[in-house]
This record gives sequence, structure tokens and C-alpha cells, in this order.
Amino acid sequence: MASLRTTSRLFAASRPLFRPATFARSYATVEAGSTDAANAGPEAKLKTFKVYRWNPDTPSEKPTMQSYQLDLNKTGPMMLDALIRIKNEQDPTLTFRRSCREGICGSCAMNIDGVNTLACLCRIPTDTASESRIYPLPHTYVVKDLVPDLTLFYKQYKSIKPYLQRDTPSPDGLENRQSPEDRKKLDGLYECILCACCSTSCPSYWWNSEEYLGPAILLQSYRWLADSRDERTAERKAALDNSMSVYRCHTILNCTRTCPKGLNPGRAIAETKKMLASM
Amino acid sequence: MFSSKVAQQSLRRLAVQQPLPMQASMMRASPAAVALGKGIQSRPVTSSPNTEDPTQILAKQRLNRPVSPHLSIYKPQIGWIGSSLHRISGVALSGPLYLWATAYLFSPALGWHLESASMVAAMGALPVAVKIGLKTILALPFTYHSMNGIRHLTWDLGKGLSNNAIIKSGWTVIGLSVTSAIALALL
Amino acid sequence: MASFARPSLLRQTLATTRSPILRQNVGVSQAVAFHASARKQILPPLPQTLNGTMNEPVPVPKPHPSEGSYHWTFERAVCVGLIPLSIAPFAAGSLNPVMDAVLCSLLVAHSHVGFQAAIIDYFRPQRVPKFHALCVWLLRGFTLTTAVGLYEFETNDVGITEALRRIWNA
Repeated sequence: MASLRTTSRLFAASRPLFRPATFARSYATVEAGSTDAANAGPEAKLKTFKVYRWNPDTPSEKPTMQSYQLDLNKTGPMMLDALIRIKNEQDPTLTFRRSCREGICGSCAMNIDGVNTLACLCRIPTDTASESRIYPLPHTYVVKDLVPDLTLFYKQYKSIKPYLQRDTPSPDGLENRQSPEDRKKLDGLYECILCACCSTSCPSYWWNSEEYLGPAILLQSYRWLADSRDERTAERKAALDNSMSVYRCHTILNCTRTCPKGLNPGRAIAETKKMLASM
Repeated sequence: MFSSKVAQQSLRRLAVQQPLPMQASMMRASPAAVALGKGIQSRPVTSSPNTEDPTQILAKQRLNRPVSPHLSIYKPQIGWIGSSLHRISGVALSGPLYLWATAYLFSPALGWHLESASMVAAMGALPVAVKIGLKTILALPFTYHSMNGIRHLTWDLGKGLSNNAIIKSGWTVIGLSVTSAIALALL
Repeated sequence: MASFARPSLLRQTLATTRSPILRQNVGVSQAVAFHASARKQILPPLPQTLNGTMNEPVPVPKPHPSEGSYHWTFERAVCVGLIPLSIAPFAAGSLNPVMDAVLCSLLVAHSHVGFQAAIIDYFRPQRVPKFHALCVWLLRGFTLTTAVGLYEFETNDVGITEALRRIWNA
């Protein structure tokens, strides 16, 4: 299909006759008439996407919203499909993270139509009258366009020691076993992919991200507090027992509302508070 | 294999060139000439040794970064709007209490009359509409903060934390607090 | 052999060297005239700095239960105590002086904790150290005058539930 298109263009456009097919394809992406808006048929479903843009090469320029139009009939169903199509066909400078396109890597976390979610799990609203607005994760430092700097987030994750801490070896010297009931306590916790959607939806985390750990890290922290095999529960609890680490949470519960994996960080924090109170 | 390598190299050369000059050169010269390295890109500026501390490059870039928009772009949802109303209503209740109690403490020195008898007299002198308005302004934060406070206490017990329950209880509290505030104002 | 016709590599190199003439042809995408950030921000965050390298964890604060778990439990106890005390006046009309005094002290404690939380949330000592200190001391002063003022009102006047009842019925 692609080769058919390129050859027909080769004859139609007033270009040098000789050109390798690869070049024709590259140029086609920026040629007038190759975009959906220009060659929209009567049945085209043109939707406008407004995307947050900021370029670190021109740091003095303020961030802007740039709009793109796509024909939804030619675009995949998800927001990530739209972004990839914009990048491939309209503007190769548009920058965003993506990897797995199936909601398991957490790379494409961004704010779409006002809600933090994974672009690969977010359907494009088929209503073409309203435009879709795409921002990076809220209140993060922007590296470029839709790419936020999550260094602090990862540093905070490291601070809760997200690994099994045991002093005694297992009785039979093999695995550290736990009962099915104890294992069940980790359901809804271990599935977190650390996409940072919940943390960056939390107003408390917006104002106090330096000291407040935020919902994602607290959910991970509770995942180790709830683990029957971990033997440093008291130490973990002591690390959280101050005014900032947990108690900036005012149960706003944006985290639970926004989690693209359907997890409940709000509940994990509530359980953490209960555990800390029953010291 | 060797021929394919040569072809690959020449393609790379084509690629690094500016597209427009490349078009022009392709009009005039044969692609073979370009592929053989004639008219290859030249860089007149010599690269200078980097005297900058490499650990500081990223730190400097960080200083330029903007903060992405947050409160202004987040979708208004009952969860966080209700939560901000909780804080606002709390300040709307405690603020006047603090101001009034402090003023009452210093009223003998200031010559103000804030004792209950004079406040009742002042309230009694107001027209009915103003009375009802004042009472609503006082009662609404009270009813909302109290009911939402109970909602918060159930959350602290670890209950009612599913998405469905949060949304339902949020709207219930808003509905109940508004109706009870109006009822209190008409009392 | 596959790398021979790898279009992505070429496309990238070409994209970076796009000429302005080609850029004009894009046509559809244009930057909007307004900025994506608010024009006048309240207390905008400072430029990004990170302590330590990106491989070091953030420092773990020292345990401080009186600001952490004890504080939280105390706050919930006050809240729970306020529930019956704020319902009772509606049933009884007003409270007796002892219950009135308990209600007043719980209200002061609850208000103080609430204001304190707001100050910690919005005016961080790292961002606005002097204003943070001012707010903290202002709150302490006001809490004290409020407590004394309420004590005066309870002892010299009719008590707040009775006063509210009279004002409401005026």
C-alpha cells in the first residue's frame, strides 16, 4: 500500500524524476496535501488536538499550545495512536514518551482532557466538535513537550526501600513462603507500574513534592508494609512517621479517581495511616 | 555485502545534506557523484574543547524548565473540588470565630460591643431578607464541613474508598448540606 | 541488509534539517497565540534543583510521632468528639456551661490544627521561610487570644451555643 502511494505521488508531483523510494516517503510526511486537513473528504471526521509544546533549545520562549488536525477515520482508536500519527505525518519535532502501547510500561502518562492517564489506554473521544487538550503530567518540570522530569519521583521511590528486607533465612533454606491469604493482601498493590499519574494528580503532591512522598510511592510503601515476609515493618513505619511523608495526604482521592490501572492508592494510604496509628 | 555497504554509506551522505541543496544537486549532478562523496557536507567551524563541568550541564538545563500547568487545567471533579470546598468552608467557619473571639477579648479596651445582647439586638434590627442571607452564609459552611467531615472520618476507617462510593457520597453531601443550610436559614 | 533501507534513520536526519519553505507547507499545525501557563502565578515553584545525584534516594526524615501518627490520632479524636457536641444543641436548644466549654476547647483545637495544615501545605519554610514563621506565630497568637476570648465569653456571657440560638431567633 505504501509503495503504491509513493509511486503515484512520484508521478503527480513536479519533482525530479529520479528519487529513491525512501526519500519520497520521508518527504511525503511534510508535503502540502499529505495532511488530513488538506485532503479531507466529505466523510472525514476531523478532530483538533491541542498539544502542550515547549522546546529546551529555546528556553526563553514560553510554553504554547499547538493544534493539529487528524481524520479519525484514518487514526487508531487511542490517544497514543493520534500522537504517533501527528509525529509521523505532521510534526516530527513533537516529543513524548511511549513504549509498550498496552498500558504496562507507564511511559505515556500524560494529562489528556484534564485527567491524568496513559495515552495508550485512553480512547480518543469521537465527538469531533470538541478539541482534545494534551498536557504533560501536571506540576512537573518539563524536559520537552510532553516529557516530564520524574527524577525526584524515582529518588523518592528509592527512599522507601522497595525490596524485601529480612534478617532470618527461610526455615528450609529455599523460598520465603507466605500463605494464600497473605499473598492476597498484595493484590491491588503489586500491579502498580509507577506511571506517576496518581502522584501528579494530587494537589498535596503539587504543593509539597519535595517532602510528601505522593500516592504512588505510598502505595508501594504499603505494598512492603503489608507483605508478611518483610521483617522491617517497624523501621518502615518509623520512616513514615513525620508530618510530611504521609500526613500531607488530605484524602482528596484524585489518585484513586485517576489511576489508569484501576488501583486504589487512596485506600493504601488510609491503611498506612491506620497502621501508623496503631503503633 | 561490500556493494550494500557502499550503498548504505552513500545514502547516509545523502541524508546529512540539506534537503534543498540536495534537490538542486540532484537536478544538476548525477546521484553517483553525490554518492562518491563529491560535495559532501563540510563544517567550517572547528569544535572547541568543552571546558564546562559535565556534571553541571544537566543542572543548568533544569533551571530553564517550566512547570507544567496544574490547577488551571485539571478537570473539575467532585473529589478535589469537594475537598477544596472542605478547606474553604473550614476557614470560613474558623476565621470568623478567631476574629470574633479575639475582638471580644479586646472589646473592653477598644470600646466595641460584641457581647451577646448587643449582637442579638443588631441581628434583630436587620430586614428579613438580609437575616436569611446572613444565616445561609453562616449555615452552609457549617453543614458542608460537618457532613464532609463525617465522610472524611469514614475514609480514615478505610471504608467507602471505591471510586463509585467517593463520587456518590460527594454529591450526597453537597445536596444534603445545601438543603439543610436553607432549612436552617429559614428556621 | 535490513539497515539498507531503514527509513526511520533517514527521516530523522531529514526532519532536523527541514527548510523554512517546507515548514510553510505544513499548514495545519500552528502555535496558538496564548501561553499554556497562567500569566500571573501565585507562589510559583522555584527553578528545578535536585539534591544529590539521581541515583541517591531522597533523605528519610527523622521519626517525629507528635507531628505524625499521634497528631493524626489526636486530630481524629477531636473530630469525633465534635460530632455529638455539634448535634446536641439542635436537640437541646443549647448546652450546659461544662459541655459548652468542652465544645469551645475542641473547636479551638480543631481550628488550630486546620489552620496549621493549611500553612504547612501552602507556605513551605523552604520556599518562604520568613512568611512561614510569621504565619506560624500569628496562628499561635490568634489561637491564644481566641481561647482566652472564648473563656471570657463563657464566664461573663451566656455561652456560644446559647448566644447563637438567640442570634438565630432574633
